[in-house]
Amino acid sequence: MSALIHAQSGPGGQAQARPEDVGHQRAAGTGEPDLWCTYAAVRTLAWLGRTDEADDAEATARYLRSRRNSDGGYAWSVGMPSDAWATFYCTQALTDLGRELPEPGGTARWLSGTWTQDGTGAAYAMTPGQAPDVWATHFSTRSSVRIPGGEVPDAAGLLKWLGALQRPDGGLSWSRGSQTCDVRACHYGAAAWYALNSVAPAEPPWDTEALIRWLREQQTAEGGFRFSPEADVPCMWATYRATAALDILGGAPARPVEPWIRGLRGASGAFVRWQGYEVEDVWASFCAVGALKAVGASTDGIADAVVARIGELRCAGGGYTYREPQHAADALSTAAAVLADGTDASASRTSADPRVAWLESCQLPNEGGLMYMPARGSEIRCTLWGLTAGAFADEEARQERRRIAEWLRGLQNPDGGFGFWEGRGSELLSTAAAVGVVRRLGATVPRLLDAAALRGFVTRCLVPGDDGSAALPGTEPTLRQGLQAQRIRHALGEGSPQALTALLDRHRVRGGGWANTGARLPDLLSTYEAVATADLYELPVDTAHLSRFTDRVHSDDGGTAWSPLAPGSGGPLADALGSLLRRRAAGTLRVLPDLVLS
Amino acid sequence: MSNRTIPAYDQTLTRVREVLGELLGDGVQSAADDQPLTEALGDRYDSLAALECVSRVEGAFGIEVDFVAHDVRYSFATLGRIAEFVQGELEDRAVLENLG
Repeated sequence: MSALIHAQSGPGGQAQARPEDVGHQRAAGTGEPDLWCTYAAVRTLAWLGRTDEADDAEATARYLRSRRNSDGGYAWSVGMPSDAWATFYCTQALTDLGRELPEPGGTARWLSGTWTQDGTGAAYAMTPGQAPDVWATHFSTRSSVRIPGGEVPDAAGLLKWLGALQRPDGGLSWSRGSQTCDVRACHYGAAAWYALNSVAPAEPPWDTEALIRWLREQQTAEGGFRFSPEADVPCMWATYRATAALDILGGAPARPVEPWIRGLRGASGAFVRWQGYEVEDVWASFCAVGALKAVGASTDGIADAVVARIGELRCAGGGYTYREPQHAADALSTAAAVLADGTDASASRTSADPRVAWLESCQLPNEGGLMYMPARGSEIRCTLWGLTAGAFADEEARQERRRIAEWLRGLQNPDGGFGFWEGRGSELLSTAAAVGVVRRLGATVPRLLDAAALRGFVTRCLVPGDDGSAALPGTEPTLRQGLQAQRIRHALGEGSPQALTALLDRHRVRGGGWANTGARLPDLLSTYEAVATADLYELPVDTAHLSRFTDRVHSDDGGTAWSPLAPGSGGPLADALGSLLRRRAAGTLRVLPDLVLS
Repeated sequence: MSNRTIPAYDQTLTRVREVLGELLGDGVQSAADDQPLTEALGDRYDSLAALECVSRVEGAFGIEVDFVAHDVRYSFATLGRIAEFVQGELEDRAVLENLG
């Protein structure tokens, strides 16, 4: 079974942090491409009219096409479920590269399956069954009007939903019930309207003057834009979204922005994210070019340098990452490497490990969690993996742990659950990861979160008359989702060992391990979560049964496969989980840490 | 004694081609017996496709594959190995039935 596994991170770009830490290479890159970066690279080349200069574009197109699932949608990594974000990135990048979309009708049908109503109108969710949010609505509206065979099911309903995002101060928020305004939400709302307007002309559904005013107020004295009044440091990502939104709405920045943008060119001539950030990366260049175009400035003087820099970020098998592939570290792989080495975060001081120090540098000032890659938004899974690997384990890190706790508290959605990061709709995996973070912080759910709302979300995920749970209310239950629900319920003080035992028995594979669906094909993630959940409940684990599975997926070179069907090592994350499982089976590890991935 | 007839290897191989051809298309017909399916079918023969192949073969021949005890990655790598695997399972089952 192929895997998962790049973070389903999206850009959340937070500014400035500790650039001296982020820039220093204390964690190794995997050399793997990243979909977010690949989209940004290709889109930038397209904006500059230079896609014909992309090295081995066919390899990049192959990488993009390989994200397509049989349901017609696209996923962040092979083996992951389809989502609106990945679908937009892949189809847009393939189009920019001049490639035909494979079976676009199937993609259009998948998109229509994410359409949903929430009481303020109708919009798109990130995956079928999820609540709508402006991230997904932006991506899928643009995809639907571009992909052959696609259309927005109810333009009037969508306009109504978009209109309801406006808050009393004029800005747009993420979704129904969300109180937070952000320039990204403003841009996504405006761009969704713009796409809709191209096929079903309609006036913007907001008090446009108030929206423009709110956006202009986010420009700082330096000239760049911040995400919101709560984030007072300007960055390239916020500047692009704000200027593009203003352009769509017929507005303009309050003062010149071009000098600030051009001031963030690095030695190569490409761009950095913010003042003091030393790596000229793909996202900064994407944002800079987009912002220059939005304000009508020329890109002639920067195009050659940006194109050359993008060429340096291409990965060997196609696709791009955010900086030179050998240096492009990410939080999950770095945490995995620490865990695979046998570091026990709870036992000793670990921040002396440069990899742990790098993980700690992934906490930025505007958000308390750990991000996946530098300057992205903080993500719950990465925070859980980072803490598990030993980040902020020192006694002196109380302040950093408190910031994580505050960030987590602010992330809980009105429906009680958690999404991957700010503004994303709730699902069970992220909610289980949030509870795991609470445990890692040494806190309790009732002290830190709204326990009643959390209980409500988990209850809605439970399948009536079944012990299983689904990732989203109304979708098919699986073992891992059931285990995640049981871990959340344990944290609420209402876990059922009987229900957990029944769930484990139902998915126990005769020859060894556990299967996510049925009891046929065991896989590493399901087996890991099965044992970790049993450990949490202090239920006995049949280590002989476990060893039969780990022996099968363990390769001679020390790697671990995602399932008996998958080839060789599944990469650093699989190797880390495999290492932990083998140590658990051998008795050198008493309990497995609570980790989720996909 | 069981009356079950064990097909000849060539018959099994032909049937394997038929069954998997329905799932994976014409590439199965042109693949050599010992050619890796990942080579003959490229991206179409990924681990999920392999899983579907296992299910089809199980259904067609009335056998059961144990994903841990059997080395599925080896046995389902070429058409010839699939046929050998099926042949072995059918023979084992015949022996067990005779013992019964």
